Amino acid sequence: MAISSVSIALTGSGGAGVMTAGQVLLDAAAKAGLYGLMAKSLGPQIRGGESAALLRISNEPVQSSDDTYDLLMAVDWGNIERFAAELPLSKDSVIICDPAQGPVPELMLTANPRVVNVPLKELAASLEGGRVNMVGLGLIAELIGLPESSIVDILAAALKKKGPEALEASKAGLRAGQKAAQSITGIVKLSPPGPSTTERWSINGNEATGLGALKGGVRFVAAYPITPATEILEWLAPQLPKVGGCLIQAEDELASINQIIGGSFGGVPALTATSGPGLALMSEALGLAVASETPLLVCNVMRGGPSTGIPTKSEQVDLNIALYGMHGDAPHIVTAPNSISDCVFTAQWSVYLAEAMQAPVILLSDQAMGQSKAIIDKPADLGFIGERLAAEANVENYQRYAVTASGISPMAVPGTPGGMYTADGLEHSPRGTPSTQASHHQEQLDKRLRKLTDFDYGDHWGDIEGDSETAIITWGSITDPTREAIDRLADEGVSVKLISIRLLAPALPDKFSAALKGVKRAMVVEQNHSRQFHTYLRGVYDLPADTITYHRPGPVAIRPSEIVEAVKAWNKGA
Amino acid sequence: MKTVGEFLAHAIALEEESAVRFDELADALEVHHNNDVTELFRKMAHYSRLHLAEAKEMTLGVDVPHIKPWDFEWPDEEAPETPEMEGTHYMMTPYHALALALESERRGQSFYQGLADNHENDKLREMAKEFAEEEGEHVKLLSEMITRYPPPKEGWDEDMDPPNVAD
Amino acid sequence: MDMLTAEKLTAQDYRSDLKPVWCPGCGDYAVIAAIAKALAELQLPREDVAFVSGIGCSSRIPAYSAVYGFHGVHGRALPIATGLKMARPDMTVLVAGGDGDGFSIGGNHFMHACRRNADLTYIVMDNSVYGMTKGQASPTTEPDWEGSKLTPDGTHITPFQPLEIALSAGASFISRAFSGKPAELTRQICEGVNHKGFSLIHVLSPCVTFRPEQRAYKDKVHEEWRPTADRTEAFQKLMADDGFATGILYQGTKPPFRPEMGVPATIAEIEAQFAV
Repeated sequence: MAISSVSIALTGSGGAGVMTAGQVLLDAAAKAGLYGLMAKSLGPQIRGGESAALLRISNEPVQSSDDTYDLLMAVDWGNIERFAAELPLSKDSVIICDPAQGPVPELMLTANPRVVNVPLKELAASLEGGRVNMVGLGLIAELIGLPESSIVDILAAALKKKGPEALEASKAGLRAGQKAAQSITGIVKLSPPGPSTTERWSINGNEATGLGALKGGVRFVAAYPITPATEILEWLAPQLPKVGGCLIQAEDELASINQIIGGSFGGVPALTATSGPGLALMSEALGLAVASETPLLVCNVMRGGPSTGIPTKSEQVDLNIALYGMHGDAPHIVTAPNSISDCVFTAQWSVYLAEAMQAPVILLSDQAMGQSKAIIDKPADLGFIGERLAAEANVENYQRYAVTASGISPMAVPGTPGGMYTADGLEHSPRGTPSTQASHHQEQLDKRLRKLTDFDYGDHWGDIEGDSETAIITWGSITDPTREAIDRLADEGVSVKLISIRLLAPALPDKFSAALKGVKRAMVVEQNHSRQFHTYLRGVYDLPADTITYHRPGPVAIRPSEIVEAVKAWNKGA
Repeated sequence: MKTVGEFLAHAIALEEESAVRFDELADALEVHHNNDVTELFRKMAHYSRLHLAEAKEMTLGVDVPHIKPWDFEWPDEEAPETPEMEGTHYMMTPYHALALALESERRGQSFYQGLADNHENDKLREMAKEFAEEEGEHVKLLSEMITRYPPPKEGWDEDMDPPNVAD
Repeated sequence: MDMLTAEKLTAQDYRSDLKPVWCPGCGDYAVIAAIAKALAELQLPREDVAFVSGIGCSSRIPAYSAVYGFHGVHGRALPIATGLKMARPDMTVLVAGGDGDGFSIGGNHFMHACRRNADLTYIVMDNSVYGMTKGQASPTTEPDWEGSKLTPDGTHITPFQPLEIALSAGASFISRAFSGKPAELTRQICEGVNHKGFSLIHVLSPCVTFRPEQRAYKDKVHEEWRPTADRTEAFQKLMADDGFATGILYQGTKPPFRPEMGVPATIAEIEAQFAV
């Protein structure tokens, strides 16, 4: 069933406070029992830049953006051309804008939306301590049918420190907005939500990733800030000491990755978070983690690339470097959460995989998930806790890199008597001593690969939904718009199977073949310019002969209608 | 150094350092495939260990104090009977090795002789004399041994191959 | 404790059975011997000590030791050691490396390790040359040294001053020793390990293969420094330094870096922040 929801974009610049308004709106919706999502689009300025809060509110769970915005409230039009492409409108959309800010730019009128003028600034100015964003908030809340009480509750908590006058001023602003909304008709109000049965959370993907890692057992983090991954680190910083762990800030990414290698060598599950350029800097040390069999988790939150690229926008572009970015034959694990909610599970599972297999895991999230906040049902906890195979004390002739059937060898945690060994990036004998012998290289390569390919990953390898001869194969944050597209196609009688792969590497041909059972043709959907995912799948799996791709780069999010249209065009044989 | 115990601590350290160093030199030369010299150094280490055992036997009933590595009263930077690491070369000949060993034995002898001649403690002097005599024997032995090996010709350290590249 | 008690660990107990690949005559032999002696002097349980290194001749040291070791990649010994110490404050962490590893490719980490002042002991074997790659100029090489094919006319670059940098950046223990004076080196290592904070022990360790003229170091070094906690005094000594003064230059009292511990909470309590 297609989702009934309302999508709202709030834009403004120069400190208009649209992000705050958006956040209050989302929190108030959550308070009222609704679900929702808020993404951000920001200019390059540190303060006062053009910005947009992009919301979708529904009485069902939603974790991706809709095709167009029902409501666009523009406090002003500062630099709108920079992100107009991220604000798709339709003829049914309503633009609410302040006539004092000049005429609506032409490029916002191409879909022929309805324009409603409201003197937002003037209304705010007429009130003692009045603020434009509060007027806008009151107006939108009234239009979509959000009860005032839920907004006031959120504001009261947010403005607690500023005292009662600030709250009164905000309330006055809200009411002025509500009044202005009376004259605007034709906006569909949200139906009141059904009674909530589960606990709901308000969380962004980066927080969810941090939480999952913490639940998986991560207790040491080395951090170097980079957009859009920093929030993972910032969230973890105050949490880790509560569970006996710690976070330190490193001098650069070369340091952060090596610091977590050191921490993990010490027996403490460890993590760092970064984005493309940082991951590139880490690749030498990731090879060291592979060779020395040191478990660790790198959460890479993808942004537009290459180089500094588009740091504040999403793109699935680091798949190649995550898969192939290492020197030498370096088998490792690459995972990808496929929704904000799934960030908790995938991060937790990734810690478990890293520890169980004593190998580095690269988790690929992206800006769209990482920096978007969602109201979700509390994610189920499947109880994956990282645990490594530890060597006992005083084992006779202990061999750190013993060649075992599973490929996994007991690891002596420093402090274990009689377990002393030297972890080495040089190729080594089973004992760990440097070796150039062909037989040692062969058996260590075999073991490092075998431990990954023979591991039992259970059903978490991917999410497989529906049954059809037609499948869409996708990954990461594109999964939710794909799922929504498949639902809409189902409403039209077109059935499509969803295969969303959570474990990108190692490749598991048996699992993939099982997922493709009955599938005669497939479409690979991804958000990058060079179809990295499709190329990878072709390299490691047998795809149906009739396989096409739908791919394009960022920074504009892939929306459900695009996927629907692509499937329809395919069906028509276009 | 005042007491017999302190003297014995020095004697033990002297022999131990010598044994450890000779072994280390043997290892270094073994890694560099200089088998003749390796064998010689191993022998030297063996003799040092025998003397070490003798010195330890003499400690029965004596209170031997712990002396920090940097508080030993050696005439030089290291214990006198320790052959100099920098006196080695991967292409060194048995002649070089014996000369190195001889030098260390001479230093050992002179260390003990100095105490035997000058120390105020009778018992200590007596012991030092005994040790000096034994070192003297070694000096004699090595002096004789070295005559059996020809002194190296000029260019003994010439290597046709350039150095190797490792890591 | 009696020196001859059977349970007591000897210097040799801290050595592995691997034979070093260093050239006979190399200063590094004396350094590992001094480290083993220092550990025996401190009687640290072997399983509670970790030795971390990067890449280079001297970075082979961990494998020659019988404690826990990590032989990492070029230039990153200090970050690995820092991570280990932060995650496992109960371990005694030693770091070893050469001048290229520590001051060139790892230069940024060196500065920041000094600033951070974590409780690590960093032993740098400085021979002013890259030995493992056949004798190129390092950051501490004299600008007019013409011994490398890579810079046949010399580097013409001002040599890196590790002690000045360390003092400026905030290291709280700084000393210099010479491999040819192992007793003093052993003493400095003991002092460095006992010191709570980042200890830099700069060891002049000749390369007999690519810098045979360094055999003359033994005639150049002079015992000079007594520890001071006064940075001005330490800087003045460095201004007068000919590069061969030895001793403990500076020992400050800045507490070592340690992340703060928090008020304990359960995961459920932490998750509660997300509940609507």
